Amino acid sequence: MASWRERLRQWMKPPRTLKVTRAGRTYLVLTVGIGLGALNTGNNLLYLVLGFLLAVIVLSGVLSERAIRDVRVRRLLPDGAFAGEPFPLRYEVTRTRGQAFALEVSEADSALKGSGWIPYVAQGRPEVVRADVVAPRRGPLKLTGVRITTLFPFGLFEKTRTALLADGLVIFPRRGFSCEPPGSADALHQGDSSTGRHRDGAGDLLGLRELEPGEDARRVHWKKSAAAAQLLKVEREREDRPQYTLSVTEREGDALERACEETAALTRRLLEDGAEVGLLAHGRKIRPGSGPGHEKRVLTALAFLGFDEPRGGHAP
Amino acid sequence: MNLASRRKLRLRLRDLAAASAYAAVALSGAMPVWVSVLFALSFIVALLGFRPLAGLRTGAVLVLLALAVILFGLAFRGALNLVVAAVAFASLVTAHRMLAAPEPATDRQVLLASLLLIAGAAALSGEIWYAACLLAFGVFACLTLGLGVVEGPVERDEDLPLRPVLRQVSVGVALALAGGVAFFILFPRISWNVAARRATPPLLGGTTGMTDRVRLGGGGSIKTSARVVARATLDPDPGVDHLERYWVGRHFDTFDGQEWRGSGVPGAPKVYAGLSPLIPGTQVQRIELLPAYESRTLIGLAQPLAFSQAQALSTAGSTTALMVIVKGEEVHFATPGNAYRYVAFTFGGDIPAGRLDEDERARALALPEHLDPRVAQLAERVAGTDGDPRSVARKLEGWLKNNLGYTLELAGEGDAPLSHFLFDRRAGHCEHFATALAVLLRTRGIPSRVVGGFFGGERVGERYVVRAGDAHAWVEAWIDGRGWITLDATPEAGRSNQPIAALARLIDLYESLEEYWRKRVVDYSLIDQVGFVRDLVQPPRGQRTDDAHPEATGGTVPFRQVLGALAAVVLTWLVWRGLSRRLAQRPHPATSFLTEVERRLSRAHIARQDGEGLEELSRRLSSRRHPAAATLQRVTRRYLEARFGARPLPSAERRALLHSLERELSPRNSRAQEPGPS
Repeated sequence: MASWRERLRQWMKPPRTLKVTRAGRTYLVLTVGIGLGALNTGNNLLYLVLGFLLAVIVLSGVLSERAIRDVRVRRLLPDGAFAGEPFPLRYEVTRTRGQAFALEVSEADSALKGSGWIPYVAQGRPEVVRADVVAPRRGPLKLTGVRITTLFPFGLFEKTRTALLADGLVIFPRRGFSCEPPGSADALHQGDSSTGRHRDGAGDLLGLRELEPGEDARRVHWKKSAAAAQLLKVEREREDRPQYTLSVTEREGDALERACEETAALTRRLLEDGAEVGLLAHGRKIRPGSGPGHEKRVLTALAFLGFDEPRGGHAP
Repeated sequence: MNLASRRKLRLRLRDLAAASAYAAVALSGAMPVWVSVLFALSFIVALLGFRPLAGLRTGAVLVLLALAVILFGLAFRGALNLVVAAVAFASLVTAHRMLAAPEPATDRQVLLASLLLIAGAAALSGEIWYAACLLAFGVFACLTLGLGVVEGPVERDEDLPLRPVLRQVSVGVALALAGGVAFFILFPRISWNVAARRATPPLLGGTTGMTDRVRLGGGGSIKTSARVVARATLDPDPGVDHLERYWVGRHFDTFDGQEWRGSGVPGAPKVYAGLSPLIPGTQVQRIELLPAYESRTLIGLAQPLAFSQAQALSTAGSTTALMVIVKGEEVHFATPGNAYRYVAFTFGGDIPAGRLDEDERARALALPEHLDPRVAQLAERVAGTDGDPRSVARKLEGWLKNNLGYTLELAGEGDAPLSHFLFDRRAGHCEHFATALAVLLRTRGIPSRVVGGFFGGERVGERYVVRAGDAHAWVEAWIDGRGWITLDATPEAGRSNQPIAALARLIDLYESLEEYWRKRVVDYSLIDQVGFVRDLVQPPRGQRTDDAHPEATGGTVPFRQVLGALAAVVLTWLVWRGLSRRLAQRPHPATSFLTEVERRLSRAHIARQDGEGLEELSRRLSSRRHPAAATLQRVTRRYLEARFGARPLPSAERRALLHSLERELSPRNSRAQEPGPS
């Protein structure tokens, strides 16, 4: 639920915004100059030129309004993105009536930088445009609307309309530099080779023994059990991959940001080296694991550090 | 349409827009020929698709600068008008940009420079051709801009349907033109007149041949010209289609055997030029001398008594015109202008007159030194023993009219054109007939003079138009007690204009367009606006006169101010250019930080391997437990953050990091830990 200030701000916001381009500024300066010249000299031909220049300004407003009116936009979001790196954001633009020209699509009121360009949209034919955008910082990103901008017809003015389209996106921490090797794997080793549990892996065959009560019946070797007339369990060597649990203790500010970035970079590096990585941050623990899905879990957790987490988990 | 075709189309449209703008300037006739030649060459080269200045940025700018120096040098020396010089320079800039590398920014520069040309042309020309050029420029420029906008910030090599774009932009252009006309009609006409430029002669120049001398042997091609040089409303209106009357312009009283000239002495400029006292029964003529007339001599139906309410019209508006009476010769305008409006008063009959001034009589009786004696013999033979000057004049007039032929073909007149006309060729045009009659009259002791002006007047609507082909010469003879009487020995067929019919129709069409242009555009005024609004609000009650124009005074171009403004613009541009270049060339702060770090590493003999980045080097040092490894890690991280992570590196922190690195890299700290390339 938006606060009353935000609602007031939305309500006060003009439905269209107009910005003068660089060429438009020069054009306006020339128009004013010619207008002053006409007023000074009384030369009707200058008045005629001035009339055309002013008409072009008015026409720019009318045609640009026609271009951005009746445009529908649908946003296609990626699963996640890293801060400071371009990632693709796709928009499906449909013109419900008439045609549109020279449209630039970008996120409104968002920290995302970048836009997509569509030269022409015919009536009723959806056009998909890719915008390579960059999020400056990590965290959950609230997307409120899409800015539809056009320079049509003459490139003198930039008219923008915002289509309300609420959505959310998780921005993972920037993949920064990680140089310091983490503490030794032993120190952070989560697995325990001293227990019998190291024989419950899926590696080389170590031997058979009698199944004890409470042990997983799926490990029973049925043929040998039948031959021995007792339940025998297969013991296989467990592949012991180094396990690390990375911790983030910083609570806020730039230190937290740097810690998140470094942890994200370290996570990537360790996972690439074949280790399993877990996370301990702000009282939340993720068990060590590996694979792209696990990396995403860690990154999502890092993205939400310092932010209010959504209900039901990390997903936005 | 693919990218190459789109680009070609866009560039062609852009170049055509620039050419239209330059045409508007060139048609004013004010541009130096070499500028026109340079622009035309540039346009052709650009149209052929060559952009020779694409790789010659500095050289081309220097050439442009040199041309600017030449142009403004000429303006400073007075050889070129400052406005003309500025417009010429804008033309060269446009040509320069046309030949530069085709980029979206170049397109905009060409079009904006062309817009300057269009504005400059408005100050230089009032011709109807300007409207055509403006229209062409508007259409081409808008289409170019439209195509450029749809192309986007980066050109993409993909097919793009251009038809809907062009259709939409074309509709837009049509609306813009309509809107422009609406703005033009309704924009309040308030003129400050601080620095108005004086009028310049129109492109087509003078066509009437109204000069200060009449030399026998000149061509007669003017008789075929159908260009309208004057329009007049007569009060009372005679109501005839062909006026068949004389419009007096200039009197010539001195003949040297070859040419006629006047010998009047100019008086002081006045707003009212009275030649004779006004008498009851005068006919009032509201006359408009058009730019094609290109002379300052006033004309009026014979015999003009006075001229008043004169206004000089120029592209800067209208202003009160002063008139100078050159006694016995002409009345001319002292105020420059493209066109003039005034009121002439004429008495149709003979004006009562006393005696002719002795000097004037002597000049009106003077004969050339080496006059062929056959001329006097001819006059004696024709006049016989008749002693009545009026009768003698009529006899001589009749004899010439009946015995000599009219022709515009003139060849081999030699040193004695009059004798050649009278006795050899026995044919000529109005100047020959007028000369012969005047000399013959003088040989009989009758004062006479040649008059240059027009004969005719064709009714068009409520007014009479006078064409260039109506130019005519005739004679006035002094009869004591009657004054100057008009005599014309030229056969009737040769008096009026003799244009080719089809050409005349075309010219009429052009003239009507031009009249509309002048009336509705060039001379459109606040009063017209008020009338327009009044007509919108309430139906017109009566006919509005076209002569009601506000008076305005013109000024001169304030040279110092213009020069100062120009210098300010150039200075601003130079400062902006310098700053933008400096900002553009300044390396990223993080890059300079990296350079400093590399310098320190190099000084400590820590070399990077081929393709090894700072990150890899940092890891290598860490793995070898180099004493500087920890510091280098910090340095590396801060470099990456500052360069790619949007975390700027403050100078204090930068200094601290570099100092710390230097300390760690010092030989004392790093001895025995040297990691060489491996």
